[in-house]
Amino acid sequence: MSASLAPECNQVKERYDNCFLKWYSEKYLRGSATTDECASLFKQYEQCLSKALKDKGIDKMIKDARDDNRENDAEHMRPKR
Amino acid sequence: MVKFYSSTDTYSYPFPAVTLAYFLRYPNPYATHVLSTDTVCRHFDEETQRLTTIRLHLKRSKLPSAILKIIPRSLLGASAGGDTQSYILEKSVVDIKEGWMDTESRNLEFTGVLSVIERQEFRRPVSATAQELKMWQGMEGAARRHGFINFGSGARVEDTGETTEVKSSVTLHSHIGEKWKKRKDAVEEEKPEKAGFFKSLTTGSLQSSIELIGLKRARRSQPNAKEGMKVVLERMREGGLVAVLEGMRKDREMVGENGHALKQGDGKNDVE
Repeated sequence: MSASLAPECNQVKERYDNCFLKWYSEKYLRGSATTDECASLFKQYEQCLSKALKDKGIDKMIKDARDDNRENDAEHMRPKR
Repeated sequence: MVKFYSSTDTYSYPFPAVTLAYFLRYPNPYATHVLSTDTVCRHFDEETQRLTTIRLHLKRSKLPSAILKIIPRSLLGASAGGDTQSYILEKSVVDIKEGWMDTESRNLEFTGVLSVIERQEFRRPVSATAQELKMWQGMEGAARRHGFINFGSGARVEDTGETTEVKSSVTLHSHIGEKWKKRKDAVEEEKPEKAGFFKSLTTGSLQSSIELIGLKRARRSQPNAKEGMKVVLERMREGGLVAVLEGMRKDREMVGENGHALKQGDGKNDVE
């Protein structure tokens, strides 16, 4: 698995990544997913990560990029058929 | 001025495997410069079955010497040799029902110097979609879908002869000089000959040369990005997810030890 930017989050990240891969390959790709089964693990990971992002000042950079490109997203990420 | 590069390719793997490989593509032997990958946000729309993911990658890169000649290092946060790290924000949307995945990656820093936006559109070929829809209605389709990818050690990607089309593009845009006053202080700290060289270029020609340098890099790195995806897909075909994760573990060991494993030319895998 890829490493986390914040070494202290590696453990929760790996737990979440494993859950996601299992859900993605066994449920989502087969069209049988009904809910995101890894949501609670993601919350734990997110909690750890968001603190690290904030400490490094990256959270603001991400927010700005997402705000700047909202229109862009709407244009490029819409389904094309 | 904006520069644009695009290409199309066909992966000889089915669409679901390609989308999985996309999520698992870092690190790979062609991208040991990717130091970390984090999922910042993920949303599964239960109604449409669409999955939206936002990830943050940290990449180590070497700035082209041509760029270092133009822009003072102090502005770029690079070391004397031009080594630097950069954050890349990636957004992807997968629609497994309709058979498409759209991705977009952009640099988070120095967007004023050069903003690089890389887009990819993965498509399940239309005929395959129609065929699958037909089979989906029969038992054969259900069985085939079910056997597609397994998480266990016996997992294999079936060689069904299915392919996935991908359209890639890179858009490069430099805004340098437009907000230069803000950075004036930093410029003045640099050696006078650099400032002198900078002054000799007009804003337009400076932007254009930076975009051109970025474009050359994008042209060089695109084949590596595809090779990286293919390595991941081959591992999946050989030994399923277990093999992918095992390969990834080995590649991860190389990150930091030898960041230029398969690097052939200078800066070949720097910008992706």
